[in-house]
Amino acid sequence: MPTMTYLQAISDAMRLEMRADERVFVMGEDVGVFGGAFKVTDGFVDEFGPERVMDTPLAESAIIGTAIGAAVEGLRPIAEMQFSDFVSCGFDQLVNVAGKMFYRQGLSVNITVRLPSGGGFSGGPFHSQNPEAWFMHSPGLKVVAPSTAEDAKGLLIKAVRDPNPVLFMEHKHLYRRVKGDVPEGSYETEFRARVAREGTDLVVIAYGAMVHTALEATADLDGASVEVLDLRSLVPLDEEAILASVRKCSKVVVVDEANQMCAAGAQVAALIAQYAWEDLDGPVVRVATPDVPIPFSPTLEQAVLPQVDDVREAVRELLEY
Amino acid sequence: MGVSVAEGTVVEWKKQVGDWVEADEVIAAISTDKIDTDVEAPAAGRLQEILVDVGSTVEVGAVLALIATDAKPGEAHSSEGTSEAEVALEAPGEAGELQGDTTEEHATGSAQQGAAAASTASTPLRLGASSPAASQRLGPGGRRYSPVVMRMAAEHDLDLSQIEGTGRGGRVRKQDVLAYLDTQPTSSAGTGDGAPAAEPPMHIESPYLPDAPAPAKRRTPRFGAPEAAPAAAAGAAPLSRMRQSIGRAMVESLRTAATCTTIVEADLTRVDAARRALGVTYLPVIARATIETLREFPALNATLEGETLTTYQGVHLGIAVSLGHTQPTSSAGTGGGLIVPVIRDAQELSVEGLAARIKDLAERARQNALTPDEVRGGSFTITNPGGYGSIIATPVINQPQVAILDTEAVVKRPVVVTDELGDDAIAIRRMTYLCMSWDHRALDGALAARFLRALADRLEAWPV
Repeated sequence: MPTMTYLQAISDAMRLEMRADERVFVMGEDVGVFGGAFKVTDGFVDEFGPERVMDTPLAESAIIGTAIGAAVEGLRPIAEMQFSDFVSCGFDQLVNVAGKMFYRQGLSVNITVRLPSGGGFSGGPFHSQNPEAWFMHSPGLKVVAPSTAEDAKGLLIKAVRDPNPVLFMEHKHLYRRVKGDVPEGSYETEFRARVAREGTDLVVIAYGAMVHTALEATADLDGASVEVLDLRSLVPLDEEAILASVRKCSKVVVVDEANQMCAAGAQVAALIAQYAWEDLDGPVVRVATPDVPIPFSPTLEQAVLPQVDDVREAVRELLEY
Repeated sequence: MGVSVAEGTVVEWKKQVGDWVEADEVIAAISTDKIDTDVEAPAAGRLQEILVDVGSTVEVGAVLALIATDAKPGEAHSSEGTSEAEVALEAPGEAGELQGDTTEEHATGSAQQGAAAASTASTPLRLGASSPAASQRLGPGGRRYSPVVMRMAAEHDLDLSQIEGTGRGGRVRKQDVLAYLDTQPTSSAGTGDGAPAAEPPMHIESPYLPDAPAPAKRRTPRFGAPEAAPAAAAGAAPLSRMRQSIGRAMVESLRTAATCTTIVEADLTRVDAARRALGVTYLPVIARATIETLREFPALNATLEGETLTTYQGVHLGIAVSLGHTQPTSSAGTGGGLIVPVIRDAQELSVEGLAARIKDLAERARQNALTPDEVRGGSFTITNPGGYGSIIATPVINQPQVAILDTEAVVKRPVVVTDELGDDAIAIRRMTYLCMSWDHRALDGALAARFLRALADRLEAWPV
């Protein structure tokens, strides 16, 4: 099995889908000749030509709107937001058009929107956000967020084939930091959670980059057996897997890199409070970014984003409770 | 402090555990190799724990004490002031002013968040609800327990005051309950203990499972009742899918049918001799006799659906099979389950043929290897829990059939027998009760009694 970075796995998924299915094409700012701001589509224009690797104007509303139109006509576009932060310019197309097209007109909107998201590298307030919760709140959209190279590939292929609009939250900070064995050829990863590490005393629920933070924070906690659940998909949310872990462990720490208010973890915590109440042996604890913009200063950014020590401290506290 | 100073020694604590402290109030004095200075509280709250005693030297950045910032000033300490929030609530005029300025309120909130994040090391927030201070408020003996601990206590009938807590402030944690249960003899309610050591061949109460064990219909995420309990729960177990399915079928039967039970006594002394000769159990002989008797009473070899009574030419005989504890699922607790495979056209089989078929079906039932066709379409059911020594039962009808025969233990009893000359004598005979539940919507008691009497006569005259 070849070893790939998270970024290479994403490229691989798109390349395979484009080779296998003529309806699949990519579009976005600088995805063509330049190969994408992060080089995810490097070399694509040479292999597939400019008609299937389309450079677009700096207009997210137009990118997503065009993708929706192409999808309604039967194509399978993959639209790239150069940074997930810019998706707010395409908000109306996603929330009001893509998300409601099937409900209103019975038309499938088979688009995949790639959203390079997350912070941790001093990108500042416009290049570090985690906007997934905006779209979780909006019916008709699926939201997935891989944490490993293998899942990045499988979830992206699954997203491209899914007849619904899927937002693919790819974490920029994982692009080249995370490597792993990635199966060759095409495979789909279901939109379900994954137990990243089994445990019995406490479960840390996370997704995206925070899965790695959680694993590192709980790797050695004086013999405590800490489970880490990688959600992988936020919509649909794998409620069954969440509740199964909570029932087993009875103590939960939910970690979000996103701002805390109404984040994905808030939904997870609410779910647990309602359906796993009788299995809880302590309060549901959340670790998330406070409701402030992501600072540019490296020191301040570290203070704001959940760090390994923050998660470890929260886990220790709850274990002792 | 941290730039040029590496460590410091606590000289004095000016506040004690339990004291209320205001933000920036001096709580301790420390001495370093450069200067002596005071330590101010980074936040208002109640001093919850002192971590560094007077005289101890620690590195810069070490946590000296914990302040419960969620605590509220109480009456116990006369030095305590009331918080601004309370002032605002008590004085409407001031509250109005506060409400007006949302921008500033927001900015303040953000600043506090930032401060909290920046000063995490010095004022860790403690998990609120049951800080020692909170539990002390409950007074002597008043302990609070988490939902899972309460549930486990209810399930195992535990007195939680007997369990030593190892959590914060002596709190009883789930681990403490599990450890306590480990030391107890395994007898608690709900553990499903007391299962018989040896499993008898067949079992009672045949739930005809109309749709095979169909998964319970429910929205995937919406389960209040857990699906699969972890082994660690030691006794708290949800019903298995099969038990749920059986339960629904049984309740539905009792709700649907006008269930009556008639019992007839039968002397199986001759049957015993016959079965020994053939090397089979009682069941295939009784089954054969039942089949023959049903041919004479077609009204009992029938199904009733709504207003339609259907009688059958052939006898499609259901035999309730206990899945006992061989079921390869984690059906902890109540365990088991049963299934009713059907022998189609059972009238075509001899006693030996029936014995072979019953054995085969029971084995495959326990291996989960029955086909759907083999568990549907029955016209009459026999259930046979007699191996446990029970002598009478009132089985639940396997819908939509109209009757179910229950065969009980065969026991040697002194009974009055009459010889060919009409003289009575007391003899030891192998006796049993034939119990049949039947549906009063489909037939009446006289027919049920006549059927059972005919069956008993047939068994008592069984050719040896």
